[in-house]
Amino acid sequence: MRTSSSNIARRSRTLFGAQLPGMALCASLGFAFTQPAMAAGTLAGTDIENIASATYDTPSGPVTVQSNPVLIKVDELLNVTVASTDPGDVATAPGATGNVLTYRITNTGNGSEAFTLIANAANGGDDFDPTLQQIVLDTNNNGVYDPGVDTVYVAGTNDPVVAPDQSVTTFVITNTPVGVVDGNRADVGLTATANTGSGPPGTSFAGAGQGGGDAVVGATGASAADSGFLSVQAAMVTLVKSAAILDPFGGSRPVPGAVITYSIAANVTGSGSLTNLVITDPIPVGSQYEIGTITLQATALTDAADADAGDYNGTRVRVAAGNVPAGQTRTITFKVKIP
Amino acid sequence: MKSLIKACFAIAATLFAGATAFAATPLELKSDVFVERHVVRGDGSKTVVLEKPNMVTPGDNLVFIVRYKNVGGSTASNFVVTNPLPSAVAFNGTSDGLEIVSINGGKSWGILGSLRVAMADGTSRPAMQTDVTHIKWNLNQPLTAGAGGKLIFRGIVK
Repeated sequence: MRTSSSNIARRSRTLFGAQLPGMALCASLGFAFTQPAMAAGTLAGTDIENIASATYDTPSGPVTVQSNPVLIKVDELLNVTVASTDPGDVATAPGATGNVLTYRITNTGNGSEAFTLIANAANGGDDFDPTLQQIVLDTNNNGVYDPGVDTVYVAGTNDPVVAPDQSVTTFVITNTPVGVVDGNRADVGLTATANTGSGPPGTSFAGAGQGGGDAVVGATGASAADSGFLSVQAAMVTLVKSAAILDPFGGSRPVPGAVITYSIAANVTGSGSLTNLVITDPIPVGSQYEIGTITLQATALTDAADADAGDYNGTRVRVAAGNVPAGQTRTITFKVKIP
Repeated sequence: MKSLIKACFAIAATLFAGATAFAATPLELKSDVFVERHVVRGDGSKTVVLEKPNMVTPGDNLVFIVRYKNVGGSTASNFVVTNPLPSAVAFNGTSDGLEIVSINGGKSWGILGSLRVAMADGTSRPAMQTDVTHIKWNLNQPLTAGAGGKLIFRGIVK
């Protein structure tokens, strides 16, 4: 060791004239290649080399000495965070399929790391358990679930590899059971765990770190989870029917010749909206429909099955009231005569 | 470019290795690095221990110790110790507070509180420990034969 280094010492002395410009060049190159500091810290595998130097004056002139270099390698810190990125509860409905919940997995460690993903749709403390369909990786990286474009996750096959300080977006696709009611919520969790290893902070895996060092579990335990929520928005309709009689004498007795005005109020309650509400009412036996008397929200409708919302087919009246938001009412009326 | 860098490393390595082994050097300079660990003892009390840096991750506290000793027969005057900070380490103070630092790769020096960092918009801000690139001690008294000492500074792995 001593022999070989004194050989180098001799060589360095012969090179002395060329050294100073060489060193200056090295220094400037060093700055050009300095990496910006990152939140996750120095990349795993980076060498930290420390050398001190001293100069002093002797009777024979100034002298410079260098210390021994001390080299340490930065080990890989295993850290991960998972965050639900939906702005709030994602709306679903009884029997709905393909609910999409969105999560972001961020590698907060200092080495590139693959993560195993587990979705849990059967959590306690909520109102229902949706059926887990699949976990999908946002492979085109646009933050939006694109069925058939984004890749379905298969554990152990395409575990997402995330660079330090980088994130991947992941979707958890679920179906809602039929029996749920308005306001029910479901907790759907996603867990990401570092493939190199996880456990209590400080747990180390010799030689398993990126760049040849060890891997050490960081403060996150190298495993993280977050919950997204589904919220059932179901609208219900109640029909209230009333009748007003006007007899030929100006009274309200159900006598022959009296006209009965039926009024049906459809009250939509719950949340969300009711799609394609259709109100149908048969003409009571023993009464005759008065032609052209259907109204919707006090607007007259024709009897023909045509562009407007109402029709009479000889036995019943029918009004298509369309989509009705919760909290609103649609009222139809029609008249019959007692023969 | 690649070969140029390689050449630089070769020259640098040669220089460092060469200087350490300089047979006539009457001054010894030794560098050591330790990791500071907070250990909880069995009785629950906490203590700080210095460990060999077998495992180092971002955020760890490093303690650098530079030992010097005049092993020659004559006095060394104007004794100056310089330690460029490894790029992955943020400066975190010295034990004696007598150092001057550089925030521009060793071009200029001063006590940290007197240095300012130029900003892109033409203004400047006070330099912080994380700006430090080099540390230097000017030991004022001559180092007589056989005398020595140690300098300690701390850094945090970025």
